[in-house]
This record gives sequence, C-alpha cells and structure tokens, in this order.
Amino acid sequence: MIESEKLADAPVERTASDGDGRVVLSARDVVVRYGGVVAVDGVSFDVKAGEAVGLIGPNGAGKSTMLASLGGQAKAAGGSILLDGRDVTKLSAYRRARLGLLRTFQSTSEFGDMTTFENLVTAGNGFKGASLTSVVFHRKENSRSDREIAGRAWEMLERFDMTHVANAYAKELSGGQRRLVEIMRCLMTSPKLLLLDEPMVGVAPHLVEKLVGDLCAIRDEGISIIIVEHALEVVRALSNRVVVMSFGKKIADAPYDEIVNNREVQDAYLG
Amino acid sequence: MGAWEFYITTLLVYFAIDVLSAYSLNLQFGFGGIINLSYIIFQAIGAYVAASVSLGPDTGANAFQTYLFGASLPFPLPLILATLAGAVLALVIGSFGLRRMRKDYQAAVLLIVSLIAWQVVSSDTHLFNGSNGVTGVGRPLGTTLPLSSLGYQWIYVVWTLVICAVVYLLVRWLSVSPWGRALRAMRDQEDAAISLGINVTALRLQVFVIGGAIAGLSGGLLVEYIGAWSPGAWGYAETFVILTAMFVGGNRNYKGVVLGTLLVPILFLELPRFLPPFGYPGLIDSLEWVVIGLMWMASLLIRPQGIIPEKRNLVYAGNFDGVLRGRSMSKLSLRRTQKAEAK
Ligand SMILES: Nc1ncnc2c1ncn2[C@@H]1O[C@H](COP(=O)(O)OP(=O)(O)OP(=O)(O)O)[C@@H](O)[C@H]1O
Ligand SMILES: [Mg+2]
Repeated sequence: MIESEKLADAPVERTASDGDGRVVLSARDVVVRYGGVVAVDGVSFDVKAGEAVGLIGPNGAGKSTMLASLGGQAKAAGGSILLDGRDVTKLSAYRRARLGLLRTFQSTSEFGDMTTFENLVTAGNGFKGASLTSVVFHRKENSRSDREIAGRAWEMLERFDMTHVANAYAKELSGGQRRLVEIMRCLMTSPKLLLLDEPMVGVAPHLVEKLVGDLCAIRDEGISIIIVEHALEVVRALSNRVVVMSFGKKIADAPYDEIVNNREVQDAYLG
Repeated sequence: MGAWEFYITTLLVYFAIDVLSAYSLNLQFGFGGIINLSYIIFQAIGAYVAASVSLGPDTGANAFQTYLFGASLPFPLPLILATLAGAVLALVIGSFGLRRMRKDYQAAVLLIVSLIAWQVVSSDTHLFNGSNGVTGVGRPLGTTLPLSSLGYQWIYVVWTLVICAVVYLLVRWLSVSPWGRALRAMRDQEDAAISLGINVTALRLQVFVIGGAIAGLSGGLLVEYIGAWSPGAWGYAETFVILTAMFVGGNRNYKGVVLGTLLVPILFLELPRFLPPFGYPGLIDSLEWVVIGLMWMASLLIRPQGIIPEKRNLVYAGNFDGVLRGRSMSKLSLRRTQKAEAK
C-alpha cells in the first residue's frame, strides 16, 4: 500500500507483568519548546511494566505537553524517549500508537458524528482495520474478528452502563459520557502503556470509582499507566508513584505519601 | 418523438455520469472530510486519456487537431486507462496537496491546482490541442453494434447506469468497512484517529486516489458519449455544481447525493431550456451560476445535513449488522431483538 504496513503485520509482544521491574517507557532529559516558552525542561523518569504513575502539578506546569512529547504529538527539542528500550523520539505519533502507546486528550476527542458503539468498534479495529489491503484481501477473517470486536464493544457498554446511548452520536453525549467513550475506546485496544490526561473531569462520582477500579485492573494486567489528574484521591487510589512538575521541571518523584509531605511540592502545588 | 427520446436518453447519461462524480466527492468529503475543489480535473484527465487512445491516426479530417500517438484501442481499454489516469493524477496531486494543514488551506490549494491545470491545458496546444480540445472520438463499439442511433442511445444509458450500480456497490462496501470507519474517525477527530495508530496521511491519500479513479472513469464515459472534449467542459466551476448537488441532497448519504444530482445538475440546469428567452444572450447562463451559489448557501444554512441526512448505523444487543454491514433492521427483526433484550 502507500504507506509501509509492515508494522501492522508484526505481532506485538505483550508480556504480562508480574512486577518484574522491566522498564516500559523511559524519558530522558526531554525538552519541549513552544516558540520562546520552554514547556518541558529536561524531564526524566522511567515507567515499569504494570506501574501506574501519577503526573501532577499546577496549571501550566507542562504535564499535557509532557504527555504530548511521549505520545508524539509534540516534538521533543532535546532528550530522548525509549519505549521498551527502543528509541522512539523520532517516530511519528501513529507509529508509537502501533507499538502500544495509547492516549487520551485533555479536551475530549470523541468521534462526534459516529455513534458511541461505532467509536468503540473503530478503536477495536485499530490500525489494522484502517488498512485498505487488509479490508480488501482478508475479508473472511475480518468479518469474524469484526463480530468479536462488536461483541466486546457491547460488553464494554454494559460494563459502564452506557448501552442506552449505544446509538447516540458521540456529539450528543454529555461531557462525562464523552470522557467515558474516550476511556472505553482505549480499553478496546490492548495497549502497553496508557497516557491519560485528566480522564475524570466531568465523570460522575460513582463512575469515577468504577473507572479507578477498572484502571487498577488494567494496571494489574501489566499495562502501565501515566495519569495526569488534579483529583488527588484518584491519583492515590491508582498510583504507587507520583511525579510532580512545576514550571516545566520535575520537582519530585516519590510514593504518594512522601509527596504530600514534601515541602517543595506543598509550596508549588498543594498550597 | 425521436427528438424527445434523444433528449431524455442524453439526460439519463449525464445523470449517471454526474452520480458517479457525486459518489466520488461523497467518499472524499462525506467520509474522508477532504474538500476536493479540484474534482473536475480528475474527470478531465480521464476524458482526455480516453479520447487520446481512441482517436486513431490522423486522417486529415480534423485538420487543426494534434494526434498523440494515433492509437485506437478497443473497448473497454480506453475506459480502464481513463480510470488509471484519474488515480495516478490523484496520487501525484494528493501527495503534495493533502499535506497535514488546515482544511480551508487544503481546499484553497486544490482549487488553485484546478485553475493552473486549466490554464496550462488551454494554452498548450501540444498537450491536448489547447482550447480547441479534441473532437471526433468514436463511440465504443459504435461500428459493431447494428443499431439505430436511438437504440444505441438506450444501450449507452443502460451501460452508464450499470457502471453506476457497480461503483455504488464498491463505495458502499468500502464505507461500511473498518476502513470506512477509520475514514470517518479521521474526518471527526484527526488527532484521536492518529492516537489509535491510524496513519491518516496514507488514509487520506487512499480515499483521494479512489475518488480520482472514479472521476477518471466518469470522464472516459463522458467523452465516449459526446465525442469531444475541451477546456470549455471542465472549468473549475463545474466542481461546484457537483458539490452543490451533494450538499443539497445530503452528503454522507448515497441516496441523498443521487437525489441532489437529480435536482441540481439535471432538473435545475435543464430548466432554462423550457423558459422563454429573456435578457441579453448569456444572461440565463450567468444567472444559473448565481442560483447555484445561492442554493449551496441556502442548503448549508437551512439544512446542513442535506435533504436526506446521514443514516445512523443502529445496533441492538446481539445484532450488530447495522454497524458492521450498514444494514438497517426490518421492523420485525427489530421487535424481536428488543423482546430478547427485555428478557
Ligand atoms: N500549543 C501551544 N502553543 C504555545 N504554548 C503552549 C501550547 N501548549 C501549551 N503551551 C504552554 O506550555 C506550558 C505548559 O502547558 P501544558 O498544557 O503542558 O500545562 P498543563 O500542566 O497540562 O496545565 P493544565 O493543568 O492547565 O492542563 C504553558 O505555559 C502553556 O502556555
Ligand atoms: Mg494539561
């Protein structure tokens, strides 16, 4: 096809983690600039398999930009990003996604003119579904896997009490429902690492609990998570470790309890 | 009677060819979100290529015409080459015109490409005989089919309608496939599509090339019917007629674009023939363009989804055909599924 689709055919290795301490993602001295503004200023950290890391900091600290540099949406002006030991700094966003690095966005990014159900199926089909060669030449297998994906999508809707809006266009949903669609979309894929940018904004309290539970389950399956979140109780419930950013720099990287007692963090963030 | 029949069959052929154009634009815009303001040049290259390979050697009959290579390929080769030409041109133009940039800039680039192409082809007589264009293109199998000219008319009507049906099945199949869903995802939220691993650059180019191929085919069918082709037939504004048809009828819906094609380029543009002449010569033609523009605006303001809006792909527990096959459910099976769901 027009773009090499070798990556599409290569089986993606997914090792179930048993807390083996294998580093999945490693950011080294990452720098991102917007014109004169240095939004991320030499940030480094590692994320291990099955580890959930909270990324917190005041507004404008550079958290979203950090996620963007990891996901490939923002170009790193310096430093490097390693995914499973492979340097992906120069890799475009869609190629990183194919390597198992999935993300949500701070502003909701639902496919508005598609139904909730179609949003999930599209995610389930993933990049293989988007391949014209696969659609044309593997029709039999595809139709089987499409059914399987549709079944999973429906189960996902049941799990989040969303079957009643299965046929609603995503643009017709409430803010919280859109968030859920985004997260369900991520869950429909089988990522290695999830980057979540304020996923709980606008989600109803009882669903927040459910979502946290689900994210914990995902984490325990060996999928790593980086979550940017202002709601600290979510961070505490999910993450064994918290990275704090302020003015583009990393100012702390420690377990949650240590973080809340840290003077510098309190000054910068907790007030 | 004969004259009427001739007129009606001609309209039917034009209708079928315009429907092909509308399918092409609908796939590109309705599903892929690409505003292809250069559509007409893909139809044009199809027409020129089909003409060039079927004109045959210079017999001196058309003294002012330059003949490309004197080939006179048998049916259906000219049509196949026309289709390929549309695809190749789309590949070339798409690879620079579809770079990741704002949609409105992209549309502007494509419009400019269309204007440049028109200027170049009009001025350069060595290419496709400049502004005089090519004439004397024979009708496919015109000598083999032992039919009166009216009989041939009807055959051509059926032939173009069959091609329409085949192309319809193709674009419909593509648009309900996972590829089609990825296309709509890209249209709705490009960043999110990318973050699911979808290579939007390739996807955009693919839909552009498929649309270009359909456009090339439509051009081939057109030139084999009218027998001549020149820049007068493919001004940039022709693209707007089809776009208007698509918006009025309902982009994103294949029935909608067919209805729009019937309303705009066929009924509306043919209407003046039946009006008593008024004003200075050419006034009616100009007014037509004014009204086309107004129709487009009106449809965007009053009913942006078009007369027939996008069909919602409905699913119910256990029945996913709505999404997987774009199949709507009959009332009966709907009731059955709902009953099963209630249990
Ligand atoms: N596209 C952009 N162009 C220019 N500057 C930007 C852009 N995006 C972010 N910035 C700047 O980069 C800095 C970091 O922004 P970022 O969005 O990463 O912060 P954040 O930590 O996610 O904040 P919040 O908690 O409010 O979401 C800010 O000073 C912001 O103004
Ligand atoms: Mg942010």
